Amino acid sequence: MSYRVGIDIGGTFTDFALLKGDEVILHKNLSTPEDRSIGVMTGLERLSEKEGMTLGDFLGQCDAIVHGTTIADNTLIEMNGAVTGLITTQGFRDEMEYRRGYKEDIWNAALPPFKQIAPRRRRLTVPERILFDGSIYQPLDENAVRDACRKLKKQNVESVAISLIFSFVNPAHEKRVAEIVREEMPGIHLSVSHQVLPRGPEYDRTSTTVVNAYVGPRVTSYLDNLVGRLRDGGYKNQLMVMQASGGVMTKEYIEGSPIRVLASGPAGGVIGSAHTGLAKGYPNLLCVDMGGTSYDMSIVLNGAAPATAGWNIHHRYLIGVPMVQVETLGAGGGSICQINGGELQVGPRSAGSEPGPICYGRGGTEPTVTDALLMLGILSADGDFAGGSFSLTQAGVAEAFQRLGEQMGYSAEDAAFDCWRVVNANMIQAIRRATAGKGIDPKEMVMLAYGGNGPAFAAVHADALGIEKVLIPKASPTFSALGTLVAKPTIDEERSCSFSAGKPDLRLMKSRWQELEARAEAYFRNANIHKRNIKFSYLVNMRYAGQNFAVSFEMHTSQGSQDYAFLNDTFGESALQAFNQRHMAEFDHIRDSELPEIIGVRLVSSVETAAPPVGEGFSAPASRATPLKIRRANLGEGYMDTPIFAGVSLKPGHEIAGPAVIEETFTTIVVYPGWKVHVDDSGDYEMRKLYHA
Amino acid sequence: MSFELNRKLAAKRPALPCQCEIDAVTASIIRGALETVCFKACAHLGRAASSPIINQSNERNSSIIDSNGRLVVGSVGTPHLTFVTQLTVRYGLMHFEDYDWGPGDVFLGNDPDHGGGHLPDYNVYAPVFDDNGELVLVQALQAHQGDTGGKDPGGFTLEATDIFTEGLAIPCLKLVHRGEKRRDVIRLVERNNRFATFAGDLAAMIGGVQIAAREHQVLIRKYGTDKIRAALNYTVENTEKRFRDEISHWPDGTYEADVFIDADTQGTPDVKVHVACKVDGDQLSVDLTGTDDRQNLVGVWNTFGNTRGYIMIQLCAMIDPTIPKNEGLFNAVEFIIPEGCIAHPPPNKPAALGSFHPACEITEAVCIALSQVVPERAQPQVYKIGMPNAVIGFYDNGMMWMDQGVDSRSMDVSAVKGIDGWGSCPASLGGLLLAMAEEAEARFPVVNISREMTTDYGGAGQWRGAPGSLNIKKVLEPVSAMAWMVSAKHPLRGMCGGDDASPYSNHFLVGTQDEYKIELVESTQLPAGAVIAYQHGGGAGFGPAIDRDPEAVKEDVLDEYVSIEAARNRYGVVLRGSLEEYDLTVDIAATQALRNKLKSEKALGASR
Repeated sequence: MSYRVGIDIGGTFTDFALLKGDEVILHKNLSTPEDRSIGVMTGLERLSEKEGMTLGDFLGQCDAIVHGTTIADNTLIEMNGAVTGLITTQGFRDEMEYRRGYKEDIWNAALPPFKQIAPRRRRLTVPERILFDGSIYQPLDENAVRDACRKLKKQNVESVAISLIFSFVNPAHEKRVAEIVREEMPGIHLSVSHQVLPRGPEYDRTSTTVVNAYVGPRVTSYLDNLVGRLRDGGYKNQLMVMQASGGVMTKEYIEGSPIRVLASGPAGGVIGSAHTGLAKGYPNLLCVDMGGTSYDMSIVLNGAAPATAGWNIHHRYLIGVPMVQVETLGAGGGSICQINGGELQVGPRSAGSEPGPICYGRGGTEPTVTDALLMLGILSADGDFAGGSFSLTQAGVAEAFQRLGEQMGYSAEDAAFDCWRVVNANMIQAIRRATAGKGIDPKEMVMLAYGGNGPAFAAVHADALGIEKVLIPKASPTFSALGTLVAKPTIDEERSCSFSAGKPDLRLMKSRWQELEARAEAYFRNANIHKRNIKFSYLVNMRYAGQNFAVSFEMHTSQGSQDYAFLNDTFGESALQAFNQRHMAEFDHIRDSELPEIIGVRLVSSVETAAPPVGEGFSAPASRATPLKIRRANLGEGYMDTPIFAGVSLKPGHEIAGPAVIEETFTTIVVYPGWKVHVDDSGDYEMRKLYHA
Repeated sequence: MSFELNRKLAAKRPALPCQCEIDAVTASIIRGALETVCFKACAHLGRAASSPIINQSNERNSSIIDSNGRLVVGSVGTPHLTFVTQLTVRYGLMHFEDYDWGPGDVFLGNDPDHGGGHLPDYNVYAPVFDDNGELVLVQALQAHQGDTGGKDPGGFTLEATDIFTEGLAIPCLKLVHRGEKRRDVIRLVERNNRFATFAGDLAAMIGGVQIAAREHQVLIRKYGTDKIRAALNYTVENTEKRFRDEISHWPDGTYEADVFIDADTQGTPDVKVHVACKVDGDQLSVDLTGTDDRQNLVGVWNTFGNTRGYIMIQLCAMIDPTIPKNEGLFNAVEFIIPEGCIAHPPPNKPAALGSFHPACEITEAVCIALSQVVPERAQPQVYKIGMPNAVIGFYDNGMMWMDQGVDSRSMDVSAVKGIDGWGSCPASLGGLLLAMAEEAEARFPVVNISREMTTDYGGAGQWRGAPGSLNIKKVLEPVSAMAWMVSAKHPLRGMCGGDDASPYSNHFLVGTQDEYKIELVESTQLPAGAVIAYQHGGGAGFGPAIDRDPEAVKEDVLDEYVSIEAARNRYGVVLRGSLEEYDLTVDIAATQALRNKLKSEKALGASR
């Protein structure tokens, strides 16, 4: 028997999805923040025990271990990365501080500054200059580079970022600076902008490179540690790591570009959603993931969640590498309900997991969304919570809502219900905003809900948006781990160029693509993947002169080797047509009198992988399920006796009309009035709208 | 078009008539839904516009005005556009019958003498009616246009003495009638703009308000006109209540400030803005009596709508940022803006430059006046640069190009109590994106030589202003260039004992024997290879510099925001060790002694 294991490390839990032939086994245990690899090894031991094997035998039979990590995000949240220095072009020392003028809150004159990764004393400049066409305007002053190294050494710098103006057009100076830094600072961690993000403009590239330098050493040492433990445990293959682009890649590749794991956490869930939706015949999805602190929204179109670069601000830094787009609202189970200026507000402040909601009984005193669900009878203090980790308690909950209610002039139950209304309204508006300006009508999509709290709210949001179907996979609480198993080994990189679409330099484009191809091939070879198994997708980045952001689209795909016959005399014309189509779709217009420019080539190299199978269909005969009990609950239409079902006892074919609550091991599914849930052949839930109120 | 019209436009508007009661939660849910539609209108404009200033640099704004002409939702975008919009719409509303308002209509206004800001700020708006034909809302979008069809490209004419020099003024013009575009009218508007991309921008603004109007109709059907009106009344009243609640915590008194512009564009010096902010219980009044009213001033006339708006931007910066932005803000403040002064010009005055200065000096004066009251938010929401150095040339094919000079830089970020000035600009401008060298140089024959912060440029203080940058640019081909200098004689003012920012300066033909400093205005041809250098004054300080934590001063020296000499002279901090070796330490005893000496010298100076 061969196994594949997907692992997703979150703030509270580490989730596991074990793929064994066609069977998927789920597991969850607590994360170990002091050394996250311990929690990983503990979970792998539990899985091997479930299989009745020693850890060594189990790991020996694992074909692949795929891993999603928040290590880079945590480094930026805690701001405890490497001591980082920046070497840049003279005259451009302060771009990281200006941020192109950007501030997070235009109404808040007292907004605290972001913490600088490379404060000014560690941002050093060297005389040199390359122009937009790659010509050298001012030669590199090598002595200045050595002097900069001396200054950085004096400041105990552990990681150096190098970002020179127009290095993405001509990297000669940057390469030479890197050589000198290696000589002067042997063993230093280096991040060079034309490798990390070979495109303009300077702030985007420099910011991405500096963050790469900052998180790099921690990501590397973490992966080294984990790989060591896995090897010692008996694992013989490459560890694959999830990237924000939605693909996975080897440790060796990630170590060369650690920025690519930043914000990769949510990507696994989105990729898993796309896979599940496609298998069930729903290629267009609105995915909502509600956990303890946030509500993450993403969009899957035609079965894919394309990674795009752009103004991606994460943890107050701009990250320019392509990412699966996920919008986040500070609304989760732990979000705190309070009165501010006469208005009831829910979130973004969160009680987190410690002390957590009042009903966790761990000292929380402020009412949260989870507490509101308990007041409404959607959750219960009888029995287990979170897979048996603990039970909820009523103590203090009603009193807290009573205090809120007194300020608003009504009862505790009314206050809890209003908290539920407000958090729903926030989430609904957030979805509308997330889909705004993208040419998407939510009405035409299916909602897919996951995360611990997603299924308790999904149908309310679907209703408001005119969506008539909601999918809730049985594996929804560990969906991100499952997603890592679906993700393909992928390298997505670009190289810059600059010419009019009317006169494309085909030779240059070919050589850029070949360079990317050779890089990808080498990394895949090291992972024992042959070139014939690699699918190459050739994209171009195009824009009108003066636009800040380019549109990126595919011009050609091939499996294995490529003869570049597509790069012929008609290439410019077909690129222009594709650009016009894409620009029209994305921006609603094209400019008749202007020719766009081609500013980059991009190569996505990926390999098909054995993904967990997803069952579909409703062949089991429809039947009625028997409720476990009846509970007084308010599902939006006032308190009424509501049937409560146990998820473990539901079988394919079961149908339950709302109002009803289904208690799953790690989540609670609410079937709101006007909705009916159907259990499909694989045990997943599909909720359908019965009528419009 | 008169002071009388301005009085009518600014008159307080009553609450909307409605029968039903509404609870706070339902009102905020309805407000949230309207805000989202507003956001979507802006998102559409951002997506569909063809000029980078709108679709990428974000100089745009979306808002909702109710049937009584009240601003009810000020959404995303640029605060400097948010608070002018309702007056333009009110002018349109005054002509509801005349102009035959109806469902599916879209209007345009930009006229400074009919409620507008300055000509480039186009306001496109669409009325929304319910199924009974009653007007419920007006959805508006504003965006800054690259040109206005006047004498000079861009619309900023240094010597203009009337509005007609600057371009086409539009009080209220119907672009779409009952859903049908008026092609002749739209063509006329398009024709009065030098840039080809304008047509796409105008179409995007029309599309944006039309989409929003349709979505508003869905909401009106869902909740009913009466409930929507109740929600709007609630949200306006609640904003007024929250604003007044903050004011009531401010100490009663009259707080005054004078701020000067170096000169008008013809060299008349010391153009004065005077503000008196009076706090009386929960009532705030902002009185500009005493502000310059010399009728011969040129270029420094800020329109009435803009003056109200710029005052409000500063007031919003000084209150809880979560208070929803709507008419309730205006209801809580009494404005006294004398007719005929530079903050309330007579008809037909030029308006383009006035939106920079004195607009920003009005903002600054409000900030200084209230800095004692709200020190932790006393950051002027201003740009003190006269006008960025725009350079204009022609491509080989004869097409004009213009590098507007809105480059990455450090401008005027003052400190507030507890926080040093940081970033590139004050908070309210933080939604705009500045130009990058790698973008500009691929389009224009220029080289950005440098734009680093200048050590010691900016105000010292217990909390330090951000140092201003020196932006140096070389042109590779002959160009024409225009400049207007201010803030050299009268730089950005420090707060509560903090030092002023540094003076601005601007040099042309740098590094040649013909190098010269721009003292006032310049309009010239520059040869290929010419270098121009704009020194920004930086932000001002907050609180006395000699009260700054000496360790923070040491850190500033290590970061070269502050020199060792300035640490000693301006902050009274004596450092040991060397910057080169990164081993600076504070000599505590020497620092204490020096600070005592500086304090007694200052006290002596004050007593003389």
